[in-house]
Amino acid sequence: MKDYFFQDTVGKPMDRVDGRQKVTGAAKYSAEYELPNMAHAVLVGSTIARGSIKSIDTKRAENAPGVLAVLHYQNSIKVPGYVQEAHPTEPKPAGKPLQVFIDNQIHFNDQPIAVVVADTLERAMYAAKLVKVQYNVEKHATDFHQNVSKAVLPTVAKRNPKHGLNDYVRGKEDAYKTEPLKIESEYVIPTEFHNPMELQSIIAHWEADNKLTVYDKTQAVIGTQNAFAKDWGIPVQNVKVIATYVGGAFGNGLHTWPHETAAIIAAKKVNRPVKLMLTREQMFTMVGYRPHAWQKVGMSATKDGKITAITHEAIGQTSSYEEFTESTLQQTRMMYTSPNVTTRYRILPLNVSTPIWMRGPGEATGAFALECALDEMAYVIGMDPLEFRLINHTDKDPEKNLPWSTKYLKEAMQMGAEKIGWRKRQLQPGMVKNGEWLVGYGMGVGTFGANRGRAKVKATLHKDGTLVMQSATTDIGPGTGTAMVQIAAQNLGLPPEKIVFELGSSLYPPSPSQGGSATVATVGSAVHAVCQVLKKRLTSMVAGNSDTSFKGATVENLTFKDGYVSLTASPSARLSFGDILKQQNLPELEVTEESSPDASLRQKYSMYSYSVHFAEVQVHPLTGQIRVTNMVSCADAGTIINAKTAGNQMIGGAVGGIGMALTEGAIMDHRFGRYVTKDLAEYHVPVHADAPNISSLFVNKPDLINNPNGTKGIGEIAIIGVAPAIANAIFNATGKRIRELPITPDKLMMV
Amino acid sequence: MPQDKFPDQHLPEGEGGQAQHSDARRTFLKQSSLLTALALAPPAALKAAELKFEEKVAAVFEQVKVTLGINGKKQKLSIEPRTTLLDLLREQLHLTGTKKGCDYGQCGACTVHVDGQRVLSCLTLAAMADGKEITTIEGLANGDKLHPMQEAFIKHDGFQCGYCTPGQIMSAVACIKEGHADSDDEIREYMSGNICRCGAYPNIVNAIKEVKNGGHKV
Amino acid sequence: MIPFQYVKPSKPKAAIDTVAKDQTAMFIAGGTNLVDLMKRDVLNPEKLVDINKLPLRKIERENGTVRIGALALNGAVAEDKLVLEKHPLLSQALNAGASAQLRNMATVGGNMMQRVRCPYYYDTAMPCNKREPGTGCSAIEGYNRMHAIFGHSDKCIAVNPSDMNVALVALDAVVLVSGPKGDRKIPFGEFHRLPGDTPHIHTNLQQGELIMAVDVPENPYTKNVHYLKVRDRNSYAFALVSVAAALDLDGSNIKSARLAMGGVAHKPWRLQEAEQFLAGKPANEATFRQAAEVAMRGAKAFEHNQFKLKLGPNTIVQALKNAAGAV
Ligand SMILES: Cc1cc2nc3c(=O)[nH]c(=O)nc-3n(C[C@H](O)[C@H](O)[C@H](O)COP(=O)(O)OP(=O)(O)OC[C@H]3O[C@@H](n4cnc5c(N)ncnc54)[C@H](O)[C@@H]3O)c2cc1C
Ligand code: SF4
Ligand code: FES
Ligand code: FES
Repeated sequence: MKDYFFQDTVGKPMDRVDGRQKVTGAAKYSAEYELPNMAHAVLVGSTIARGSIKSIDTKRAENAPGVLAVLHYQNSIKVPGYVQEAHPTEPKPAGKPLQVFIDNQIHFNDQPIAVVVADTLERAMYAAKLVKVQYNVEKHATDFHQNVSKAVLPTVAKRNPKHGLNDYVRGKEDAYKTEPLKIESEYVIPTEFHNPMELQSIIAHWEADNKLTVYDKTQAVIGTQNAFAKDWGIPVQNVKVIATYVGGAFGNGLHTWPHETAAIIAAKKVNRPVKLMLTREQMFTMVGYRPHAWQKVGMSATKDGKITAITHEAIGQTSSYEEFTESTLQQTRMMYTSPNVTTRYRILPLNVSTPIWMRGPGEATGAFALECALDEMAYVIGMDPLEFRLINHTDKDPEKNLPWSTKYLKEAMQMGAEKIGWRKRQLQPGMVKNGEWLVGYGMGVGTFGANRGRAKVKATLHKDGTLVMQSATTDIGPGTGTAMVQIAAQNLGLPPEKIVFELGSSLYPPSPSQGGSATVATVGSAVHAVCQVLKKRLTSMVAGNSDTSFKGATVENLTFKDGYVSLTASPSARLSFGDILKQQNLPELEVTEESSPDASLRQKYSMYSYSVHFAEVQVHPLTGQIRVTNMVSCADAGTIINAKTAGNQMIGGAVGGIGMALTEGAIMDHRFGRYVTKDLAEYHVPVHADAPNISSLFVNKPDLINNPNGTKGIGEIAIIGVAPAIANAIFNATGKRIRELPITPDKLMMV
Repeated sequence: MPQDKFPDQHLPEGEGGQAQHSDARRTFLKQSSLLTALALAPPAALKAAELKFEEKVAAVFEQVKVTLGINGKKQKLSIEPRTTLLDLLREQLHLTGTKKGCDYGQCGACTVHVDGQRVLSCLTLAAMADGKEITTIEGLANGDKLHPMQEAFIKHDGFQCGYCTPGQIMSAVACIKEGHADSDDEIREYMSGNICRCGAYPNIVNAIKEVKNGGHKV
Repeated sequence: MIPFQYVKPSKPKAAIDTVAKDQTAMFIAGGTNLVDLMKRDVLNPEKLVDINKLPLRKIERENGTVRIGALALNGAVAEDKLVLEKHPLLSQALNAGASAQLRNMATVGGNMMQRVRCPYYYDTAMPCNKREPGTGCSAIEGYNRMHAIFGHSDKCIAVNPSDMNVALVALDAVVLVSGPKGDRKIPFGEFHRLPGDTPHIHTNLQQGELIMAVDVPENPYTKNVHYLKVRDRNSYAFALVSVAAALDLDGSNIKSARLAMGGVAHKPWRLQEAEQFLAGKPANEATFRQAAEVAMRGAKAFEHNQFKLKLGPNTIVQALKNAAGAV
């Protein structure tokens, strides 16, 4: 174990194991499987935000060429699992997706109300336009600011006073109010959309009456399998979910959505495999989003930079039929030493669709307010914001009163400050220029729970010396398969080229969803475990072999390297893994191991990943044009398994954060309750020209309390803290503090 | 100019279970001469006509014949004029390497080369590509030997989920051929029509620079 | 898309006759705007006349003008030697538009004809006078951040989204049109319309009229020019405001100037009074600021586009500064 982190494979910037597939177009995403006799489905969405369907005229659609079925609440197959809720008047907790085609009720604009199935895509799209619907319109509430007084404590918190979403007070409540040096600011982030490049899609195929296969864009094959088995009242093993390649998701594959069931219903009805791919507009209404949020931060500090109190309030929107919540205020409770901390979280149900975690979920929202407030506070007391953060750094978790498993945030800050050239930053805004452009520097810190779940991995060592592992996790882009191969290579002493890691199928041993930055810690631990067992089994095989020098060998005195076992003491005698199996007359050696986190350690330690982001921006004083000209993102994320893919994650998070800070935000016309920015020309995600050179730096020190590979998550902290870093840099450049995202030229113009 | 409106919306509501047809449809049938149509139509379509499903008759002859060179192979196809090149590639020819990310020209995932130029296949009607040479990501490599740009994308990790990747690569190859890869900023500007939501932009820029500076033939 | 008929004539006359005779027919060139609008159910031509076989692709010098064929591609025009030499402003404007792929498809004629990008125009579930006359303009009291500050009416406040048009109107281009009743020339400033009471009529081109070419007369604006586009991201986005500025300088004095704005009106917005103001004045920031004030006279903004009243003049000043400083 000692020299583990200095060995060959882990940490190497290895090329992705599926790189070739991805650069040749051979990688198949969910809509890309060829099935015989496949039909195409297109959804029809409501054009009102609230009310009911008065009439639905499908005649012309049904008579259009190639149309096989037009299904809606009146004629849809009833999904057996869609039972009436026990308490229909109480709001449903999160996790109960909208049930499709069950009644004539409309809960949000563009709610799927019918599905048209035809033999070709063109025909299905055309016929979908022919469905004519009339409504009984009811008054809708979609405007966050007009309805903000209706925000409530989430039901889960009401029911359980110990629940983390309840109000939190450490020290004295709202103590900042009576302090002399304080700030109080409100922050708004608009609704933002995941918009992965792959449109959400599914192919549903009833292979028999009670046997369903779906090729689905999801982050959770097992979760999806269970959901559909329950919906259709069929055995879990009769549902097969395939998600070998997922074209990005950022959270919107963490829920089952109405379109998936619509496709399954359609497939059942027409008795053919059915493919359904959402349109880009439907990606804005049917698969979740980062909820619009209002926040207020009050903060006080002493002249010499000690934070004395923080109060952080947040309200996030949710739908009228599902309570969505997230940990917006977590970072405020644990990041800084402040003796007095108050947090209050509320949700606001509106006639909109349900949000879902979007990269760095609530934490990214919360960090925007908290880390901007820190910058504001530092400015009030005339202190460098980096120094201010260092002064308030805490060596144990002030919320839980526990030691950290590991925390190397200070190192990360030092690395980053050096790399960006923080020294160039001036305390007073507007002091640094590049020609006409104003130059500013800003920073923001991020944190996210270093989560770990339970996973199972099956490993088969073949007599040709290759290893095949399988687990029902997914890879939405981080390079899961690659990291698992490296972990196995490291632990088993086998070259990575001889290892295959298969994922994205419910046929494999269960793993949780790919979410919450927990995959490497979770599945990686199971890979670690399976490799330990394989080593033991190989050891007992060689040790039991009475006529060789290996007789009586133990794992401790053997070396596993390059696919060979040798005695550490006399390495010249060695046996390949394959030969060991052959000696035993075994075609293969199969081992399945499960790994779960040690609950007792989680009682004793507080576990988080940390990031700190530094941004250099340039702002044009006349036109308000903003350019991020340099970014440095640093992470304390435990062991880095693959420097290349991990770096890429950090870069990607930074680009996402640039979008959050500068370009992204939905606009709805509340008279109609309909979005007016619902494609990629109206809703701006960053393009190449928005992304500067981005350096990602890692502390790269293991957290062995968390898991045996020493990893902590990266995906979320890559974006958490980026938006405030940029907003703070803009303040440093211009002296203008914009507290409502995105910071577009017009906003700079108008302050 | 035609009204910017769906023509069917002008029509009175349907009555008595009759299949509805738009004025437009009737005009079209007249123009195209129903007789010729019926003469050419297969028996199934005639049956449909008896059932007064004019739409279905129309569907039979609303096809155009095109010859497309796809990755060096000539293909003779009969397609509906409204079929886009993207849907033709993905749904009919099963060349799913070309991706649909928006269908409206706003993301670049569907980038292919038509007669050597990078274009968006989602806004190209397949009928309009008649007689042209189309190269998709599947046709970029030379057999098993990857194109230098493909190699460079792997080396520099110019992707995460991989969904925008075929479009990025097709665009990147063109970007160098066009002479628009002389500086980081120029690459960024000329690659801005290819969105990568995973945000692998800096790595993509590095991959393009490597190919450009490596003097590879693209 | 509705099913439609597709024809590809090889003679302009055949193309013109087909569209002139049939109200439901439309020309298609690059398709980058038309196919998009057909997918969204906004335009539903029943016949498409593909004009790509017509010989309208050339860019040539023709008695003191640069004549650009209607089918010349935006990308090809932007990089054309003649255009770069004689009309660098046009090249800059074209390169500021869309993406490399789109510029490889979009034609000069199609770019001139492209429809507004008002989101209500694109969404058939919300009223729009331009799409469905008489239903009302959703933008006036709705989301109007991207909308007009000049020349709008109480029926429509959308803007012409083209970059190319801004340069062409500044450069006094002339559109060559051929129609069922013969040929005619339309000065660029008269090609596009203000919405008035008939926002559903997009341009002054008649049914069946085909753009053959655009003539850009040679002028002294070959050096001190700048096209400045301010947008929500650094590329691949429509303008919040854009300015085409061209100066003919005599040392540090302005002999004459050309100035036009995009993203502010239903047509590319030529700023002639400001041009006249600039003529004969020193090329400095104070002059530019005064010219910008002249230019903004009569501007009227709505709830969400108030910023254009500030961004507009600032962008004019900056574009003029850049033009003056350009070599
Ligand atoms: C995502 C996206 C971003 C864009 N960004 C920008 C931008 O930033 N700046 C910008 O300026 N533009 C932008 N565009 C618009 C683009 O420039 C236009 O779509 C393009 O110029 C239209 O040209 P086309 O040849 O493709 O026209 P088509 O789509 O073929 O036709 C458009 C219209 O013109 C008519 N037409 C075409 N040729 C003729 C002719 N010769 N005579 C008469 N009528 C004709 C057609 O009937 C149709 O009504 C963008 C487009 C997209 C999709
Ligand atoms: S501004 Fe014009 S295009 Fe937009 S909604 Fe009003 S009428 Fe329609
Ligand atoms: S799918 Fe063609 S540009 Fe997005
Ligand atoms: S790699 Fe995922 S969108 Fe580019």
